[in-house]
Amino acid sequence: MHLPISRRRFLLDGSKAALGASLGGALLAACGGQGSQSNAATINFWYGLDDGNQRAYMKSHDVDAFNKANPNINVEISFKPEADVDRLIQIALASGKGPDIVPTPGPAYALQYINANLFLDLDTYARQYNWKNKILGWALDAGRVHNKLYSLPGSYQTLIIYYNKTLFEQKGWKIPTNRSELEGLAQEAMGQGIMPFMAGNADSRGASEWYTTMFFNHYAGPDAVYQALTGKLAWTDPVFVDAITLLRSYFLKGWFGGGVQKYFTNTFSTLDAAFAKGKAAMDVEGSWAFANWPSYFGPGNSGMDYDWFPIPPLRDGVPQNLYTLGIGYTLSIKATSKVASASARYLDWLYSTPQRAAQELADINFPPPPIPLNPADFPARLDPRIKRHYLALDQASAQGNFGYTTWTFWPPRSDVIAYSSLDKVLSGDMTPAQFCAEMNQTFQQELAQGVVPPIPKR
Amino acid sequence: MAAKQMTQRAPLSTGAGFSTESRAGRGVAPHRSRRKYRLLAWAFMLPFFLANFAVVLGPSLSTFYYAFTDWSGIGPAHFIGLANFAQLLHDADFHRAVIYNLLWVAMFLTVPIALGLLGAFLLSQIRRFQLLFRVIYFIPYIIASVVNAAIWQQILDPQQGLAFALDRVGIHWLDNVYFLGDKRLALASVAFVDNWHFWGFLVVIFLAAMQSIDAELYNAARVDGAGRWGQFYHVTLPGIRSVLGLALLLVTVWSLLVFEYPFIMTQGGPAGATQVMTILLYKDAFALNEPGYAAAMGLCISLLAIVVALIFVLLRRKGWES
Repeated sequence: MHLPISRRRFLLDGSKAALGASLGGALLAACGGQGSQSNAATINFWYGLDDGNQRAYMKSHDVDAFNKANPNINVEISFKPEADVDRLIQIALASGKGPDIVPTPGPAYALQYINANLFLDLDTYARQYNWKNKILGWALDAGRVHNKLYSLPGSYQTLIIYYNKTLFEQKGWKIPTNRSELEGLAQEAMGQGIMPFMAGNADSRGASEWYTTMFFNHYAGPDAVYQALTGKLAWTDPVFVDAITLLRSYFLKGWFGGGVQKYFTNTFSTLDAAFAKGKAAMDVEGSWAFANWPSYFGPGNSGMDYDWFPIPPLRDGVPQNLYTLGIGYTLSIKATSKVASASARYLDWLYSTPQRAAQELADINFPPPPIPLNPADFPARLDPRIKRHYLALDQASAQGNFGYTTWTFWPPRSDVIAYSSLDKVLSGDMTPAQFCAEMNQTFQQELAQGVVPPIPKR
Repeated sequence: MAAKQMTQRAPLSTGAGFSTESRAGRGVAPHRSRRKYRLLAWAFMLPFFLANFAVVLGPSLSTFYYAFTDWSGIGPAHFIGLANFAQLLHDADFHRAVIYNLLWVAMFLTVPIALGLLGAFLLSQIRRFQLLFRVIYFIPYIIASVVNAAIWQQILDPQQGLAFALDRVGIHWLDNVYFLGDKRLALASVAFVDNWHFWGFLVVIFLAAMQSIDAELYNAARVDGAGRWGQFYHVTLPGIRSVLGLALLLVTVWSLLVFEYPFIMTQGGPAGATQVMTILLYKDAFALNEPGYAAAMGLCISLLAIVVALIFVLLRRKGWES
């Protein structure tokens, strides 16, 4: 109900409310300062999150629960806009301020802080809390620079192929297990007026690097990528040029997004809707996309169903069930933090509570940290497709059957090339050989500068 | 001329009715008073000067410094002399961005200026509904860029916008036309949207200038047999020359600094087809963690803008406006 009030009254009431709020806040703060938290070590933790429900959930389950169990430690979480948090942290740390627990978008990003001596060496705490046995080996190693541990992986992810299961059943299509089957399926879908792979980068130009990751790892292979990332093989090697050539040919055939120009204008929401209605058959995307599908698939939406399968090998010799690994964000402790021990205690708690992490996955689609997860850790109501995904990812990483995502393991300039220059390849402004030459030149410079993040060994 | 100005200005500064004798008798007081007024004026200006120093001059000076350094944005900056500028000379992306900005300048010095002049002139000829049209033309200018951009993204989206609507009624003119996805159309499409939001502003300032032109001049032109075009060319344009000059200066400088619309609508894509200098600068500073190099780029953009401003000042001094 709308109750009209005069402008003067509004201002008067507003002033009173503001005065009351500030006085009340001051009194509460004063009372709080003399309360039970007075001896607690206060940890400042900044986190980029926009969704109000997720913020409330995270505060309740990740912060308040810890504070309750640890009366001597008080974690104070400060939520920042997702788009701004990295810049805010960069400015704060550069001026000697900032939070005690520092999130970064990934190991490559964390490296700039490590090189500036702004992060604490966590090896003492790693030994104290036995993180070697709590965190997946590849993910823990990704935080090591010059044999010292500086950052911990906050979440992990991979690239998979989602498919419209109902459409596949209606058409009698089988899940492809090699390149020949994948191409046959794409041709079949295209012939029936169905977009084989939904794809578009109008909302985020960075989406193009998903395909660089896919073709480098699943065509050139993870061994070749590892050798290139460690400087033993040039990105100009024919195997990488062929990978990008194949990628380009798929785009020119219209298999991805319906063609190059359309790809540049396709938005995620339009694509998601088309995928759920059976107008697109498959989607190459990261683990994060699980969060999207309940809004489009199932009863009350399109009525169709989805599922996923691992990207098949696109060349002989590349392993099956290969998962490219990615880290969503990292967590570190500020070098000058006065509550480093308490901060490490909190980090340990995050990695020692697999059931809490799995519960978050079920409740608010928060991807878990890379910790060993058992089937029993997952709540019964979690979507079995998501559970199967994380169990498969855990198994593959434990067996060493993994590849490398560009956004996690490529240094900054090379990572930008992985999407911005790929767009030039797609639009015909650059050849695959020129793309690989540019990638190689930039990567070698960054390798020499020491800004390539730690690469998990095979 | 100078003497005439002095005699005209003297009564204004001393007040009417004061004789020379009375002024002489109070010779010291006005001097003190003037100094007091000057101090007061400076006192009023000081907060703005300090604020300006903090938010404009300070960062400008630091940008100047960082332009000569290799800096990641964190930790110490290493002085590298002119290396960043040498790199700019060989940076193909920067060269392409400069060309896009020059194209943008060319588009904005023609289309919106012409539309603004035409719109203002037509409006100056009518009395009824003039205010309504002024408001209609001006509304896009006061709508937030993000909103404008989002509206036009929808309109230009081939799958749900104008092309889709036309397709449904059997008109296929825009089938397979990708305004924001075709690298040949993207820059012009984004410029069109920016132009759509901007030209109403020019209409309003040109109209205000046109309304200050003495109506007798138009009557005289009509008596001399001038038509609409003749009146526009011989009376209107000379009458608004100073405002037009200022508009040309602002449009040029703003076009060199353009960021919002290309960034919101295409993020510099597709394949870098709308990557103007400021977007490249932003990418270098925040995606590539090379604010030192970005600062050098920013300095070059500022120098370009300063050159434009200097040309304008030079033209004014040469009496271009009068």
